[in-house]
Amino acid sequence: MDFSLIVALVIALALIFDFTNGFHDTANAMATPIATGAMKPKVAVGIAAILNLVGAFLSTEVARTVSGGIIKEGDGGIQITPEMIFAGLIGAIVWNLITWLRGLPSSSSHALFGGLIGATVIGVGAQAVAFDVVVAKVILPALIAPVTVGIVAFIATRLAYAITRREQGKPDGRGGFRYAQIFSSSLVALSHGTNDAQKTMGVITLTLIAGGYQAVGSGPQFWVVACCALAIAIGTYTGGWRIILTMGRGLTEIKPAQGFAAETSTAATILASSHLGFALSTTQVASGSVIGSGLGRRGSTVRWGMAGQIALGWLLTLPASAIMGAFAAGLALLGPIGIFLDVLIGTIVVYILFRWSKRDRVSHDNLHDIDDAGHVVKIKKTPRKTPRKDREKVEL
Amino acid sequence: MIDWAAFLVVAAAALVSSAIVVSLYSLGLRLLTTAGRIPTVDPAEFTGAITVLSPARAAKEAKKARKARKANPLTAGQKRLALLGGYACFTICVLAVLYGVYLIIPALHS
Repeated sequence: MDFSLIVALVIALALIFDFTNGFHDTANAMATPIATGAMKPKVAVGIAAILNLVGAFLSTEVARTVSGGIIKEGDGGIQITPEMIFAGLIGAIVWNLITWLRGLPSSSSHALFGGLIGATVIGVGAQAVAFDVVVAKVILPALIAPVTVGIVAFIATRLAYAITRREQGKPDGRGGFRYAQIFSSSLVALSHGTNDAQKTMGVITLTLIAGGYQAVGSGPQFWVVACCALAIAIGTYTGGWRIILTMGRGLTEIKPAQGFAAETSTAATILASSHLGFALSTTQVASGSVIGSGLGRRGSTVRWGMAGQIALGWLLTLPASAIMGAFAAGLALLGPIGIFLDVLIGTIVVYILFRWSKRDRVSHDNLHDIDDAGHVVKIKKTPRKTPRKDREKVEL
Repeated sequence: MIDWAAFLVVAAAALVSSAIVVSLYSLGLRLLTTAGRIPTVDPAEFTGAITVLSPARAAKEAKKARKARKANPLTAGQKRLALLGGYACFTICVLAVLYGVYLIIPALHS
């Protein structure tokens, strides 16, 4: 079979999106174990990468239902064209890179949906987008998921501390939570692999079907699964260190018991939601549980300014990537020259963003540079409640 | 519109399961500590959010832990019981993780 240029372009872009998805979401599973020292940063992202790779092969259920509903396609509805998918992917990739540069954990799937919606509105018309489905499946869950999981993580953290509490001066063995963290965060990484690589597989399969290279209603082909699995694994291993920094330290200080409680809540919520057919964003669940566990430990502070920034990022994700997707779609409508312009502008923007990121590099080797590494500190066994006037200060 | 019944089921399931797993693991740690086998897991790498002790300070802490162990008021039998209980808690946690893997892999349950 010979691929038309646009189909090849869409596949390439989809794999790039998959890569950004991987490094954007490393933090969901691995920010907390890295923050508590349960695993070395490189080991943590390595495990996450392997589990994402394995997870991508385990299930193709999500891939079969991707974009189903939000954009009315096929059978009597409006056929989405490869050009529109192409434009949507550009919007999603650019937004993912912008949020990464700002260190914001935002949902990659929302960026993808936003890009596709924007492109569809320009390319086909607003009637092609099922806005009621968007509200019910994307916007409302984004509001309630972090709050719900935050409450779960709060209770779990309280329980963990209450059960291991001992008299002052006696060892409480809470360091033992570090072992558990390895397993709870791995569970999150594995379930991420079974979910997120699938979205890219779904997009590529949708393109192949739309381009007439594959039978309608068939599942993703093996090479598609393999490429997507590799792309997300490489992305995960690259590690979005800026986002790991935000999740692991920016929101609140995390101690082993908190980390374990947060990861267990994340894993339980994601497993329950995907199993009971009520899809929630991994990123939003993970951020919510970190905040919840921060509230659950006595003497810890949650940096609400950072939490507000993240929430703002979530609100902007859908419209911002939709606008960029719409812009790309507008250009793509010009024909081959428009597609070329899209690729050119997209490449320039990505290049600029990467140049920008070089100015304040954050990586596994300088992740903790902000700390005075020789600083020897001892945290009180039973911390007092922090007085209000000291709340903003970072305890060292 | 949003399926509130499904959402409530998800929230309840998540709350109950994470509360059970976290409680059991904490209880396991507690029982280990009670039995005098205090788990000390050093952080893999220095991070800003955790306690880091100087060698002298760490030695002092270790001595304190030894002393606390010696001062354990439990009899040998009680200690063994606590240890067994701790291991039982951890075993259930391992089973919970395996159940999670089972839920993740559709080939196993569909």
